[in-house]
Amino acid sequence: MSETDWQLVKRPTGIPGLDALTHGGLPQHQATLVVGQAGTGKTVLGLQILAHAVEQGDGGVFVTFEESPAQVWRNADSFRWGSVLNGSDAWTAIDARPQPGAETSGEFDIEALLAAVAAAADRCRNPWVIIDGIDQLLQRQPKREIAIDQVRQINERCEQGGWTMLLTGKIDGEGIAPRHLEGSEFMLPTTVALSATLIDGRLNRQLRVAKYRGSGHVADTVPMVMNDHGIQLPYQVVPAYGPATAGTGRVSSGIERLDQVLGGGPYRGSSTLISGRPGTAKSTLAAGFARAAAERDERALYVSFDELEGPYVRNLASVGIDLQPHIDAGRIRFCGLSAWSSLVAEHVLLLQRLIEEFEPDCLVIDPVSALLKASGTEGPRAATERILDLARRRGITTVMTSLTNEDDPEGESTSSHVSTIADTWIVLDYNVRGGERNRSLSVVKSRGSAHSNQQRELLLSSDGMDLADVYEHGTEVLMGTARVQKESEERATVRRRDLERTRRRQDLARRIEQARSEMERLEVELELDEQEGEESDRLGREYTEHMQRRRETGDLAPGDATAGRDHDQRGGDE
Amino acid sequence: MNAKHARSETAVPALTLFVTGDAPRSRRARANLADALKAMGQESVTRREVDLLAHPEQTVTYSVFATPALLRTSPTGEMSVLYGDLSEQDKLRHFLADIEPASG
Repeated sequence: MSETDWQLVKRPTGIPGLDALTHGGLPQHQATLVVGQAGTGKTVLGLQILAHAVEQGDGGVFVTFEESPAQVWRNADSFRWGSVLNGSDAWTAIDARPQPGAETSGEFDIEALLAAVAAAADRCRNPWVIIDGIDQLLQRQPKREIAIDQVRQINERCEQGGWTMLLTGKIDGEGIAPRHLEGSEFMLPTTVALSATLIDGRLNRQLRVAKYRGSGHVADTVPMVMNDHGIQLPYQVVPAYGPATAGTGRVSSGIERLDQVLGGGPYRGSSTLISGRPGTAKSTLAAGFARAAAERDERALYVSFDELEGPYVRNLASVGIDLQPHIDAGRIRFCGLSAWSSLVAEHVLLLQRLIEEFEPDCLVIDPVSALLKASGTEGPRAATERILDLARRRGITTVMTSLTNEDDPEGESTSSHVSTIADTWIVLDYNVRGGERNRSLSVVKSRGSAHSNQQRELLLSSDGMDLADVYEHGTEVLMGTARVQKESEERATVRRRDLERTRRRQDLARRIEQARSEMERLEVELELDEQEGEESDRLGREYTEHMQRRRETGDLAPGDATAGRDHDQRGGDE
Repeated sequence: MNAKHARSETAVPALTLFVTGDAPRSRRARANLADALKAMGQESVTRREVDLLAHPEQTVTYSVFATPALLRTSPTGEMSVLYGDLSEQDKLRHFLADIEPASG
């Protein structure tokens, strides 16, 4: 036996999610057991794989043990790929339903079945063989061991004949083997289990690769969607476009001052979560973002849950955001969805398709928290991650809004974990103070950006949106009238202080002036004093000299006699 | 009687046994059927054997995918099938009950 004879070769099913789960497809030239309760999609799985094969130029055989060939054709025809099957002779349907009322007496062989399949398969290129409802036949075996042995026989025949086979069987409970065929799963290398559960009255489908001998595979139960495209596994498809790249380019949020707060605006390809209570202008902010994109001549996909386009666009126009011209020009596509109407997985599929069709540069999901209302076994977290991953890989800048509870502004977004996935988280809120509600904006986080953690006031007017500068007063941030009032109070104080300072400066200047003139006056006085002093000194010296000269001559001048007389007279008067 | 027998043979026989070659279960069915008819005194019932390995197209025509299988066709054309090697005698007798003897 050469290596190529025993090596596991996988054959793609053409269902991208299933090929991802199985890392390439189902084992070629072997039988895969497909089990599930009634209505879980076993027949559709077989038909879809067959349709893909026919499309690829291969062929196949569809053996039906339960439905008539007409029912099978109708079933196929309800899907988009149905026409591939119904218009093609590359495959054969074999009606293997037992005769009505047929009974069994003893053991039987299945050689006739295999011979009939071989006769049809031999005409096909690289055939897929679907045996739909093998339990209908094998449950008639009086001994289970014989039935199980025949399952093995079928698998051996696949290897001999080069058939790649799906063998479907109905199960009653939770097991992975059809009724009466417990143990048959050990005979086949691969088992795929389909299931469906009702959650909130909605059918949630799931698929699980329960077994894949000799191959790694994803063993989780994953959500499955069945719509007109057939079976899809929305969470399994890895987009073809490579891993997410981290650009350093930034885009505008639509508000210049918010861009400044975010260090230049959100990064291109990043995701921003805007959370807040009802009426905090989340949608307005998100719409401003979309408009900014459209004004850059980019395309924005605006997905709105539970809102209609008409009223929505009108309401935005009242705060100066007119989206209509951009919608008309095809730069913004508005898509209103009803959260209740679909499963979470269906929403994910639809969003994927919208993104692939419209190829937007920006994506707005308003509110992403609506996904919480949609039913699904997987919860909204996987859905959000899936969409964000897709957007990131395509370089789409995403803005999501999230509605939070009145008393717990950060609660719901935390529970859905969107806030941990998003690159930037902006929280909008009201501040109630002085009988007013004022909208506030704060950036809770912004990866890769220096950003202000300061709460700011978000202003809405018919001119659009803006952020008001923060007004700090001690440890408080003031907004609205309180801010305006505080600002004017503060301005008055500043004015008073300025006046006071001017007055004081003038006063001091005046006093300096006074002091200076006083100094001048004193200097003059001092000079006069000095002059006076010099004069009397001079006079004194002259007198002394005069007197000495008189004494030297020996006689008294008449003036002196008079002076002596004056002296006497004075004494006489006393 | 001969003419009638001949006509029955060219038309639809009362019993058709589908077998796959010489498989053990096919052989057992052949023997079990013969025994039962003998016990019922109905050995002359018109019957034929179809080997589906030799004629796989008959598998689809008669919609017989498990062998051996015994097909009973009533004079009015109604068909019923009993699958298996006919080893459960009660079921076989019940299936063959009131079968019209070919000799009348």
